[in-house]
Amino acid sequence: MRYQQVVDEAELLTALSDPAAAILSGGTDLLVKIRGGVAAPETLLDIGRIPTLSGIRESNGSIEIGAATTETEILASSIVQETLPVLTTALAGLGSIQIRNRGTLGGNLANASPAADSAIPLLLYDAELDLVGPNGPRTVPLDGFFLGPGKTALEPGDYIRTIRVPIPEPGWCPFYHKVGKRRALTIAIASVGALIRIEGDRIVGVRFAAGSVAPTPIRLHAVEERIRSNALTEEVVDEARRLAMESVSPIDDVRATADYRRCVVGDLVARALRLAP
Amino acid sequence: MKVRLTVNGRPLEGEADAETRLLDFLREDLQLTGTKEGCGEGECGACTVLIDGQPVNSCLVLALQADGSDVLTIEGIADGDTLHPIQQAFVETGGVQCGFCTPGFIMAAYALLKATPNPTDEEIRSALEGNLCRCTGYERIVDAIRLAAGRMQGDA
Repeated sequence: MRYQQVVDEAELLTALSDPAAAILSGGTDLLVKIRGGVAAPETLLDIGRIPTLSGIRESNGSIEIGAATTETEILASSIVQETLPVLTTALAGLGSIQIRNRGTLGGNLANASPAADSAIPLLLYDAELDLVGPNGPRTVPLDGFFLGPGKTALEPGDYIRTIRVPIPEPGWCPFYHKVGKRRALTIAIASVGALIRIEGDRIVGVRFAAGSVAPTPIRLHAVEERIRSNALTEEVVDEARRLAMESVSPIDDVRATADYRRCVVGDLVARALRLAP
Repeated sequence: MKVRLTVNGRPLEGEADAETRLLDFLREDLQLTGTKEGCGEGECGACTVLIDGQPVNSCLVLALQADGSDVLTIEGIADGDTLHPIQQAFVETGGVQCGFCTPGFIMAAYALLKATPNPTDEEIRSALEGNLCRCTGYERIVDAIRLAAGRMQGDA
């Protein structure tokens, strides 16, 4: 295995034309995979020192986060805390301090775990990814970026440049809950995030996202469409719970059974609605 | 490839390849064996060191990735033969049993007390979230950090 400390994006794009090269960002997933024999890149492209891939800024009503920005840096950002509270909450529960000091937002997304903690808030906030590849730059919505466990819309030679999150207008009620065996260093059994807007007794805006209950982190569009514009009644909460349980496709694994995960998602959707007003 | 680091205040230069973890470099090349390897995959925190003041799992960092940075290990915190107040507090409260996790806990605590000199118990527990201990049941580790925090404030 070879190591290359990449200086800028032009060098990265060229180096990525080698199909046996892999991007090394924080390394908290990739280095475990390499030692476990699950990944065997010939060249590691360390992007940790590329200045244009790191940092957080506000631009045209969006928060732009460089793909190689660490989770700790994002947690420390006051603009993120103020405008994207679900992202702050979810990242605070990702891995451990040691992991968050190395792990990066782009890495968490490119890794494409069905349990990726950062994906839940970013799906809720309608994040977009600026990708760069051999055919130039393009922008894709995060909803649609994940294709399956470990699979994404990244084509050979592509890298994630920026995660772009439109700043939501004020008034959304944030919700996030991750269920696991313990608080730190746990892969979610199931997690649900929500943004809900209530005016009077009416649900005028609603978004749900869930993790560890499908091959990828997902938005629960069916639930959203069914209850949007309804009055927030117990019947609507029950309907949302039922639809949420129907719209996920969890599996049995070492962490929990599919049935349990279904119940957790239903309960968390109901809880988010009850806490909203 | 060449790697240049400052370790425990001393600038040094060594050779590392793409497989060499910072953990290996510290233990094998520098003979700083205070840093322990537990799980080797970022779950246990036994290999915790500080890079530029931040606690990291040295099993998940390549030596080459750390090039140019400032690394602090358990060997770097005592003042000659005088233990650091956190080390001394671990001795006194019984925060050490088998001792294998101890260097990692102390480095995590060191980073905590730098940033938060007077932490609540909740803050202490949060700061230790990335470290596992199979002996003590954690209570005496939390006691040690509380004791050290009090003494270090007294010194200030």
